[in-house]
Amino acid sequence: MRTLTKYAIAALMLSTVTGCKKDKENIDTEKPQIDISWGSAFPKQCSEVKRGTSFTFRARLSDNVALGSYSLNVHHNFDHHSHSTEVEECPLDPVKTPVAPFVYVKAVNISGQPRQYDAQLDIEVPATVDPGNYHFMIQVTDQSGWSLQKGISIRIVE
Amino acid sequence: MNRRSILILLMATFILRQATAQEQPTKGIGLQEVRVDGSLYKQTEVGAMTVDKLTADSIQKYQAGSLMQTLSRLPGVHAIGIGANQSKPQVRGLGFNRVATVENGIKHEGQQWGLDHGLEIDQFSVGTAEIIKGAASFMYGSDAIGGVIRLSPPAELPHDGFKGTLNLLAKSNNATLGGSLQLQGRRKNWVFGGGFTYLDYGDYRVPTDTVHVYNYPVRLKNGYVRNTAGRERHFQLRGGYLGDRFSSMLYLSNYHTHAGFFANAHGLEPRGVDTALYDRSHRDILFPSQRIDHFKLLNRNTFTLGSHQVDIDLGYQRNYRREYNHYTAHGYMPPVYPDTMRIPIQLERLYDKHIYTLAARDQFGLGSHRLTIGINSEYQHNTISGWSFLIPAFRQKALGLFIYDRYPINAHTTLYGALRYDFSQINSDLYRDWFASQLENQPDQYLVRAQQLKRNFNSLVWSLGMATQAGSWETKLTVGKSFRLPSAQELAANGVNYHYFSYEKGNASLSPEQSYQVDFSLAWRPERLSIAFTPFFNYFSNYIYLNPTAGYDQYYGAGNQIFEYAESKVRRYGAELRLEYRPLARWKIELLADYIRSEQLSGAKKGYTLPFSPAPSALLDLSWMPKNSLYFKESYFSLDCKWTARQSSVVPPEEQTQGYQLVNFRAGTQLQICRSNIQLRLQVLNIFDRKYMEHTSFYRLIALPEQGRNVILSMGIPLGRM
Repeated sequence: MRTLTKYAIAALMLSTVTGCKKDKENIDTEKPQIDISWGSAFPKQCSEVKRGTSFTFRARLSDNVALGSYSLNVHHNFDHHSHSTEVEECPLDPVKTPVAPFVYVKAVNISGQPRQYDAQLDIEVPATVDPGNYHFMIQVTDQSGWSLQKGISIRIVE
Repeated sequence: MNRRSILILLMATFILRQATAQEQPTKGIGLQEVRVDGSLYKQTEVGAMTVDKLTADSIQKYQAGSLMQTLSRLPGVHAIGIGANQSKPQVRGLGFNRVATVENGIKHEGQQWGLDHGLEIDQFSVGTAEIIKGAASFMYGSDAIGGVIRLSPPAELPHDGFKGTLNLLAKSNNATLGGSLQLQGRRKNWVFGGGFTYLDYGDYRVPTDTVHVYNYPVRLKNGYVRNTAGRERHFQLRGGYLGDRFSSMLYLSNYHTHAGFFANAHGLEPRGVDTALYDRSHRDILFPSQRIDHFKLLNRNTFTLGSHQVDIDLGYQRNYRREYNHYTAHGYMPPVYPDTMRIPIQLERLYDKHIYTLAARDQFGLGSHRLTIGINSEYQHNTISGWSFLIPAFRQKALGLFIYDRYPINAHTTLYGALRYDFSQINSDLYRDWFASQLENQPDQYLVRAQQLKRNFNSLVWSLGMATQAGSWETKLTVGKSFRLPSAQELAANGVNYHYFSYEKGNASLSPEQSYQVDFSLAWRPERLSIAFTPFFNYFSNYIYLNPTAGYDQYYGAGNQIFEYAESKVRRYGAELRLEYRPLARWKIELLADYIRSEQLSGAKKGYTLPFSPAPSALLDLSWMPKNSLYFKESYFSLDCKWTARQSSVVPPEEQTQGYQLVNFRAGTQLQICRSNIQLRLQVLNIFDRKYMEHTSFYRLIALPEQGRNVILSMGIPLGRM
């Protein structure tokens, strides 16, 4: 019995030691970044866009290893359902019922796995959409699956 | 010098003083709260496994917001918590569908897969809770791959009589008021019992005024977590005949909860709310909210026929879960909810699950072998509703055949063996969106999210164990293979889960999970001391996990990140340590510690850990049990100090979690008034109102801290006579 216990403990310690042996791979632990603070980035917090025209989305995306893709989502905030990730608050219109709100969903794959990428995309705003407060959401991933979101308040004007 | 250092010094002084003292301990004073004593399970099929057992008394002593939060004081047991009153079990770092909960012998079937779905069990109804650590697929089939939580009602009265307890409960943190009445009686061979529990609680409080839901800052008024109030109403009834050769029991119960979810983040998607409306009352339940009913009707029968003992269990369960929310148009959903829809506008999701179970087994002796052969079968019917889609409706059939053998080779050593075969079939339905999506250069389309699917699975698992007991030493060793069926959401999910800004995509070709595990237990129990060290090693040749990819999906995922169910190889190891030392008759020192480490060895997340990996922790408890006096009996004072290390090993989309230290105080006594013993209990949890986060909490991702200081008072009034 005692011998058995001794052997068991020895086997266990051995397994613990081998188990703890670090063959740690280099894993990515950092999220990608979205920068909209630089000069020609657009839209920024409280930016306005005119319906019936198009505008160019511009943001600087970066990651410590390799970027994956980015996605944009524009949806109305007529019900004041949400705020943004930015500190600055933008003026809100009174709550209203949407009739033909602007909906925009776009997923873009960033090719070549770069560490930095200046995203640029033309977005057309039809003349028939409801003007008012909207959210402009930017999401970015890196190749490891880390992601980051940024929510900006914008206004579509007539 | 801060409070913490003073406390540690105080504890150290106590320990040193007690260690040098010479008083002889008197045996049998106080409760041995958690029994890991192997002799208790020697005669059962779990004789070579690590089992922790808690009785109703300890459950009340340590009672937290939900059963799993109460049990999570034990090493290796954690709760995946969703707010203050809901949680699901995690054993040695595995949770969700990897832990089976078994109540009255029948597997509890809720929505184990869901992150925000708690375990539907009334804490007050539990007589004993046993936690079987390690793979127990050979007993309970799929889902028991990580461990089993086994719950039983209170033991029936040994003689004729009638008794009961009225428990009253109040908690300061979320202004809980509640109570439970539990009764039981016996007349000759006829027994009955039952209980009713009612709990009403307000929004819970955390020691912070701002949380960051992803990057969106949310202000909390006076630390109240908006809209987390709830009400619970549960009942159980049982009755039957207990004879020498034949027993038959009927169990009827219903669990009902109506509770709110944190309004600013449901899922974790940041929601601006009308703070004036939401902060008006801390007790109202607005949207989002959930209503859950879990109904059970079970019948358990035991016959003794010669040397055979035959058990036949029948069960019906219904898990009816509704999630309510304001209609929110995501992606291409229409901005205004169409009035032609038959689904009510507030009904975001509905899951209605019916489960029929039949289990039979025969135990008999053959030479020195004690054999058990048996069959388990289950049929599930799952339907869905609501304007939001995550998993399709499905039906599932499962059949398991098993044989166990228990063979004592000498007075000290017993061998255990088990072999089990399972067949199961899952049939899931087609699901088509009720709204049209705009596709580029194509006409709008009602997207088909889930194709009809039929899969069959076969599995053969085994387990070998050995337990030896010699004097105060005990060793146990179990080696085995376990399996788990891919669940409906792993096979067929295809929807946006706004909890994670994720578009979850099932994989119809997944194979069952396969796991090999070695569990070891070494215990030494001389007088006054009990030490158990329980390491384990586990290798998954196929582990199913939700992999956040680098891509976004424009149509099915409304521009959200694609999370795909994938397979990988995983290595896990860890250990628990429990030590109980009684330096003096009335003093007890307890040390509980656990360590778990997981690593993915292949696939897209090679090198990363598994999600919800608990951080290493150690809990030191010092208890004093004063002598009984005229008015006070069985009194106790206890101080718990728990250290949890930093969890820096994370996998996307998790965040690293800081370590923390918590101090809890507990006291209780039986007050002798008018010949009755009134049980009084006090708990002060998180004495220093420490702001901390639990890595295994659902709200960890949005950096919502756990509950602040919580003073819990309870009173148990005995009724009836024996």
